Amino acid sequence: MSEQDRPKAPVAGLVYGEIIYWGTVISAVIALIGSVVNFVTTSNHILPSALLSKIWQGQDVTRIWEDTVGARPDGHWYLDYLATGDGLATFGLAFGVFIVIPAIFGSAYVLFRGGDKFFAGVAAVAGLITVGAMVV
Amino acid sequence: MVALAKKVPELTALILLSVLGYLIMLAFSQVQSTEILTATGAWWVVFFSFLLSTAIAIIAVIGGVGGGVIYTPIMLAFTSVDTLIIRSTGLVVAMFSGLVSSGPFMRSGLANIRIVFFCSVPIIVGAMLGAKAAIVLSTVMGDTGDAIVRLALGGVLVFIAFLFITGGADTEYPKPKKIDKLSTKLGLSAEYWEESLQKPVRFQAVRALPGGLLFLAVGFTGGFFGLGGGWAVVPVLNLVMAVPLKVSAASSGVLLAMGNAAAIWPYIKAGALIAVFAVPWMLGQVIGGILGAHILAKIKAGFVRNILIVLLLLTSIKLISRGIEGIFGIDIPVI
Repeated sequence: MSEQDRPKAPVAGLVYGEIIYWGTVISAVIALIGSVVNFVTTSNHILPSALLSKIWQGQDVTRIWEDTVGARPDGHWYLDYLATGDGLATFGLAFGVFIVIPAIFGSAYVLFRGGDKFFAGVAAVAGLITVGAMVV
Repeated sequence: MVALAKKVPELTALILLSVLGYLIMLAFSQVQSTEILTATGAWWVVFFSFLLSTAIAIIAVIGGVGGGVIYTPIMLAFTSVDTLIIRSTGLVVAMFSGLVSSGPFMRSGLANIRIVFFCSVPIIVGAMLGAKAAIVLSTVMGDTGDAIVRLALGGVLVFIAFLFITGGADTEYPKPKKIDKLSTKLGLSAEYWEESLQKPVRFQAVRALPGGLLFLAVGFTGGFFGLGGGWAVVPVLNLVMAVPLKVSAASSGVLLAMGNAAAIWPYIKAGALIAVFAVPWMLGQVIGGILGAHILAKIKAGFVRNILIVLLLLTSIKLISRGIEGIFGIDIPVI
């Protein structure tokens, strides 16, 4: 057997893998920048020391939010606070989670174009459920 | 290390950026001290979390489990941090090393996109249901709910340790005796290049239906406890569906990233994923995940596996005792 017999990786897999890989690297950089802003400026939705203290004291999520900003969030609160350190850092985390969605749909499109309609459909269903988790 | 830096320049850039970022955070910190934590103490918490996460990611990759299996039980057993915060961060720990390894695994053709998508639907649905159930339990039952989670997780850990002791997934090239109609109809067969044999290996996955149902349960457990599901995905793919071990391990990382992506959203929207606490863990997983994948070939996985077994059993004792203490209001002097 020679290297010529090496099976080629399917394009649908490559599309999925590359979108995820680079999306994750970008999300890590955004989250890091957010963390730096969080520590070196006073532009924060919630002060980091107050948050860390409450977390280490064992306070529950509801009480942490109520004590710091008045109410626990419901939804994508960080989108309204992208200019703050904690808002940007949370956006970085969320972006890394979100990147799975375009990767699934990109891969589904390639499968569909390649005639693999069943698995394109399965991928689309997986993508739609993930979108549902993000939106609902 | 120099070869690795040349091969994966983005890893080098990310490590340098992270180190620079943490130095800037220390040097120009505007963080105010509180009664609980000084400004420098806050930095140490964040930086130590980053280092610990990197180490956990390396151990998890070598041990063949997701980082969540190490992070979540230890934090639940030995700290007083709220269980919802630990579990949401646990999903980040479980997810990001899988995310970053998806690219290399897909490029090498080891992760199979058809198997991944087939198993993704039940694992995503299960993970979402598990995450929702965790939030409801925490909201409705408070401290008693937390105690139930600790007790149940202690039991799950004993089971995982038992799986490791008995061997778990160790069938390198499974040969199914019978191929069911559904698996044939779905076309769950593929070919990959086996480096050790220097030839392509063809395989046919079987038992698609029981495999799918098991993934529903794996997804639920992972989403509920914030464990991910690396400990279970490989055995299901390898032992139940007869997928070769290397393909199982590679597909597992990709599948975990998908399942956990659905499970994390309910936690993010409920404010349970707190960036100042979670970001160092995320960065450590990304860097440690890439490093671990490259170190893997040079280290004896069996040694790391034994450490994991001891770690899981010790943590399970503490978790079970804390769970019983919380439910029955009694004091058990353990560790």
